[in-house]
Amino acid sequence: MKRLLKEPLFHFLVLGALLFAGYGLLNRSVQPASGRIVISQGKIENLRAAFSGVWQRPPTAEELEGLVRDHIHEEVFTREAMALGLDRDDAVIRRRLRQKMEFIVNDLAAQTEPSEAELAEFLARHPDRFRVEPRFTFRQVYLNAERRGDALKHDGVRLLTVLNQPDAKTDFKTLGDATLLSPELADVPMSEVSRQFGEEFTRQLAQLPKDRWNGPVTSGFGIHLVFVEERKTGRLPELAEVREQVVRECADARRREENEQFFQNLLKRYTVTIEQPAAVETKKIAGIQ
Amino acid sequence: MQRNTRRLNAALAAIGFVLVTGGFSHFAAAQDVPPTQAELKEIEQKKPDYSPYPDQHFPNRVFWGDTHCHTRLSFDDGLMGTNLGPEEAYRFARGEEVMSNSGQRARLSRPLDFLVVSDHAEYLGLADLLNNADPDLLSTEVGKSWYDKMKKGGPEGTQVALEVFLSIGKRQELYKSERISRSVWEYVTGIASKYNEPGKFTAFNGFEWTSTPSGDNLHRVVIFRDGPDRVNQVLPISAFDSENPEDLWKYLATYEEKTGGQILAIPHNPNTSNGRMFALADFMGNPLTRAYAEKRARWEPVMEVTQTKGDSETHPFLSPNDEFANFERWDFGNFANPVVPKKQEMLQFEYARSALKLGLQLDAKLGVNPFKYGMIGSTDTHTGMSSFDEDNFFGKVPSSEPSPERWSEAFFMKADKTPAASGWMLQAAGIAGVWARENTRASLFDAIKRKEVYASTGPRITVRLFAGWDFQADEVEAPNFAAQGYARGVPMGGDLKSAPAGKAPTFLVRAMRDPEGGNLDRVQIIKGWLDAKNEVQERIYDVAVSGGRKIDADGRCKTPVGNTVDVPNATYKNTIGTPLLTAYWKDPEFDAGQRAFYYVRVIQIPTPRWTAYDQKRYGIKMADYVPMTVTDRAYTSPVWYTPGK
Repeated sequence: MKRLLKEPLFHFLVLGALLFAGYGLLNRSVQPASGRIVISQGKIENLRAAFSGVWQRPPTAEELEGLVRDHIHEEVFTREAMALGLDRDDAVIRRRLRQKMEFIVNDLAAQTEPSEAELAEFLARHPDRFRVEPRFTFRQVYLNAERRGDALKHDGVRLLTVLNQPDAKTDFKTLGDATLLSPELADVPMSEVSRQFGEEFTRQLAQLPKDRWNGPVTSGFGIHLVFVEERKTGRLPELAEVREQVVRECADARRREENEQFFQNLLKRYTVTIEQPAAVETKKIAGIQ
Repeated sequence: MQRNTRRLNAALAAIGFVLVTGGFSHFAAAQDVPPTQAELKEIEQKKPDYSPYPDQHFPNRVFWGDTHCHTRLSFDDGLMGTNLGPEEAYRFARGEEVMSNSGQRARLSRPLDFLVVSDHAEYLGLADLLNNADPDLLSTEVGKSWYDKMKKGGPEGTQVALEVFLSIGKRQELYKSERISRSVWEYVTGIASKYNEPGKFTAFNGFEWTSTPSGDNLHRVVIFRDGPDRVNQVLPISAFDSENPEDLWKYLATYEEKTGGQILAIPHNPNTSNGRMFALADFMGNPLTRAYAEKRARWEPVMEVTQTKGDSETHPFLSPNDEFANFERWDFGNFANPVVPKKQEMLQFEYARSALKLGLQLDAKLGVNPFKYGMIGSTDTHTGMSSFDEDNFFGKVPSSEPSPERWSEAFFMKADKTPAASGWMLQAAGIAGVWARENTRASLFDAIKRKEVYASTGPRITVRLFAGWDFQADEVEAPNFAAQGYARGVPMGGDLKSAPAGKAPTFLVRAMRDPEGGNLDRVQIIKGWLDAKNEVQERIYDVAVSGGRKIDADGRCKTPVGNTVDVPNATYKNTIGTPLLTAYWKDPEFDAGQRAFYYVRVIQIPTPRWTAYDQKRYGIKMADYVPMTVTDRAYTSPVWYTPGK
């Protein structure tokens, strides 16, 4: 039971229930047919407090009377307007009401800091979002296909021979063609390889044998001879290493989930019928995957 | 035959050929024999460096980012349908998926390295304050009235947006509260701290100062080098405080004095300033002075030259001999309502190349160049989503997010009530490339400050430029290209001074296409100079072109690269152009007594424009005047030459 009390979802359901109850009452009270408006002492206090908040002093008796009169005015018009359905077609009112609901949900989600257990579970459930990337230490020699033309393959073979000679004294940096790619990358994450060399190259790099020159490895730029010195596999980090990111992501996910869950719970109370969509609408959805 | 096979096998064994993954051609397929020792000796080898650590300190990679991104915290966005806030903006820039303002799933093809959320300082966070019924806002008379109108909705709700826009236009600040500004500002800097991850992603603190006198765009994006400890000591300056850029510079100076931090400003893409961004007079109409020039050069190291609202490198009227000049033009006028139409005489005071030329003239006159700008591109998106790829363009405002109608949407009105600009004119651009060593606020800020940055209209083209007095042609191919470039020359954004007797500037350029993008057509050096008659001149030199095309004696290649774009299918092929271009160039007409600047323009092959992707994906047909291909490009910051200093 104690655990249950701490569950945000539980808060949620309680709050939801309260909201529905409140909403039901409100709905009843706006029936203009009831023809009854009660200005409670509590309401008057509210008006007084709101005034004080704005003007930094309590209202005079005359002002308070005006506030009450204005409130009655507002109440009557609100009830009549709602009875006439004036709120229903108003995009601003509808959006505002939706936002109010979302604020309630978001506030609730923000109230409780995720517990250690929750963070650990989140990390375990979303390993890919926090995974420490594979890292590579490698060297590469680039051959410009356009410049070398038909000699490309021949040149590649010759360079590989030179580079793989057991007593090779050749500095690999002096071979190949000019580029803006790093000749030598030490302990770089896979995403960095990919941003420099592109996806195609990175996919191949992951499979190259170590400690020898390999080739050809292709990229959008041409071909490369590659020597992989070290390859660290990716791993799931300890919570302590990525705590800050997990807190951020966990809170964000919870906000989304709870919003969605809240909506889904409400949705259960409705039967939704979607009329046959027009042809253009279908295209719009299909076209932008 | 048998002998050949045996030799081939032997060759394979000797070489120890490693088969990588399948699917592409192997050297093994080549009819090669193992090279002889004599042949091996002939293999082209360049002179190695003596020091094994020559590249320890200089910038070694390009970081990509957007310095100009608005979210719902900007008054115009929050009241006009942008739901995405700074949090979503950072998430999107970091490569995560977000739900767009129009409810579409959106994600960048590749993450950015940095982002400046640069919301308008004027009424910063207004929509959030109204939605949250912020007690401080509601304690102001106007805040209360806006809130009430919003609550009432309908035409009264719309009235709020109109009142806000009008008051911005008239520069009547309808509420001013330090408490409100502080709470919003601390929220903004707090989100930046949350997403700033040194080494991985840089979230800069910043804002936009929105000076728009009579509709002429003089906006500046302000960027801080620092974190909340310093940045929270101040509040953003707004155009309500002053529309005069000199007051902005004063604010920047005060920030540095007060906090010991660092700050800079980037002028907005100038093409809608109606000749005011680079006017030869100050805000009050007085002739420019040396003091003005010093301040401008001190606080504004770079300018934005390309973004969603068009490209401002140059204009066909200003550069009639530049066949690439007629590019993504927005030259209808300014932002006034109705717009004040553009006049030809305004153009020279609002395009980047011309401003660089005017700068030389002013330098000669005042002793300081006020327009000594490096160049960057950015988006100026008002959706919270920095998007600049042709095939993944999420527009400029929520209404220009992907839809079959967005191309025909009207922006800005002329006096005759016809639209001045339309949706199709939006450019899927731009992006800022920064040469640095680390992805941190300090490292990137310092690079912007020294102008070692460049603009791209979208593709992540890598370009590197060095200028010096004695580079040799073969050095551009040398493995120690960058080390020598820094040791004996200056990179983009740098200065050459007082030429040694008989020498002319020499340049080394390397350009590489986007790893996932279109090939390159050509690399150009664009020179501007101040001649003996004190008149400004410009000239374009093609310094490297693809496919063995000829560069004529006049320095131009007149053969176009061609076009592989299939418009109906929105595809292209990299069968033309080349992935990599290198160039060595020596100025053939150098005069050591004349001021000059040189910048590099890299031209990509034509690819489908975002309009072509829309046409294909929605199965629609746009009007004939809508362009369907685009020639994307990159502009580097210039290198300047100044005689006798």
